[in-house]
Amino acid sequence: MNRGDGETERRRRFGALCESLRPDLLRFAWWLARDRGLAEDVVQESLLRAWKSFDSLKDEGKARAWLLTIVRRELARSFERKRPELADIDALAAAESALLAAPEDGRVEEMRSAIFRLEAGYREPLVLQVLLGYSTQEIAEIMGMQQGAVLTRLFRARQRLRQRLGLTPDPP
Amino acid sequence: MIDCLEFRRRAGAEPFAVDAEMEAHRRECAACARHQDELRAMDGVIRRALAVEPPVRSAAAPARAGRGRLYAIAASLVAGIAVGFALLVAVPRASIAREVISHVGHEPGALLQTVPLALVDIAAVLGQDGMRLDPAVGDVTYAARCVFDGRVVPHLVVQTAEGPVTVLVLRHREVGKPMRIQDERFEGMVLPAPRGSIAVVGHNVRDIGGVAERVVAAVDWGA
Repeated sequence: MNRGDGETERRRRFGALCESLRPDLLRFAWWLARDRGLAEDVVQESLLRAWKSFDSLKDEGKARAWLLTIVRRELARSFERKRPELADIDALAAAESALLAAPEDGRVEEMRSAIFRLEAGYREPLVLQVLLGYSTQEIAEIMGMQQGAVLTRLFRARQRLRQRLGLTPDPP
Repeated sequence: MIDCLEFRRRAGAEPFAVDAEMEAHRRECAACARHQDELRAMDGVIRRALAVEPPVRSAAAPARAGRGRLYAIAASLVAGIAVGFALLVAVPRASIAREVISHVGHEPGALLQTVPLALVDIAAVLGQDGMRLDPAVGDVTYAARCVFDGRVVPHLVVQTAEGPVTVLVLRHREVGKPMRIQDERFEGMVLPAPRGSIAVVGHNVRDIGGVAERVVAAVDWGA
């Protein structure tokens, strides 16, 4: 294979990854950023970074976790640059109302709103576990935490959701 | 033996987790068993709530100031790659593979269920579509009707001789030929079926193709 063919193949493989994983990356970034514009910016810049370091990805079967890690780093960089003032959660929710409105039953819409208002430290592992299907060990690796800390956050995330939705409170 | 507090801590972190201690506690404590069932049901709602359409910036929203150039480079690169990719691969095939893997990934606990379901429970899931499954293919340890691609479809976990596999009966999705699907955790097949297709997905299953063929052959589609 000559150099040109190799580059074409590299682009094709990266394009395939972008095509298949971009929706998950966008959902993940949106649930973390709670802002469509920022989520799109972060994913675009993450893909640019990923393209530059594509050769470091040895196992393409692990591409999703690799890209999610890049997205969360890029989002952290973005927050550092932006140094956002304390977020007005009602204003954020109003701005994102199109995505928050569920075209299904009210229970789902109520839950979506409750998750949207969940603290970031609880929201992120919940998204990784329930939406993206990662184990607590994998979440610990993505978030750079101990598995025990992830378990605690997931427990508290569900506890808070149950409380906010007026379900029977868990025992202390 | 774990106590109620420990059980609820574990169930609250991983509602679909199954281990010997939790199973033993479930058998002894009806309140905790009910609590875990509620958490599992709540996770279904959480999953649906999280599965928003991928956000796309509205046309009116401007790109962020000061990042325009980088954004433009990234956008053009990604757009170029996407166009090139669209010309090179069959996107619909990638789509069904992604949806199947994503759905299986959303219910990791389903694959961990080990207690065989009663025939009446399986019939409650398959019977609505007039289908049955030959029990010889393996014990069914999970059966539910799930939303997939906007339709409600049967979702089973079958304990085959080669290991547990997830089976999604996709009567509304036709595929022209067998399609292999794979990601870092799962491998599987989507096979053409007399009505639509059937996706069979497992983890470290040695002969997933053969297993998938046996599962498809075991489905009785009714009249």
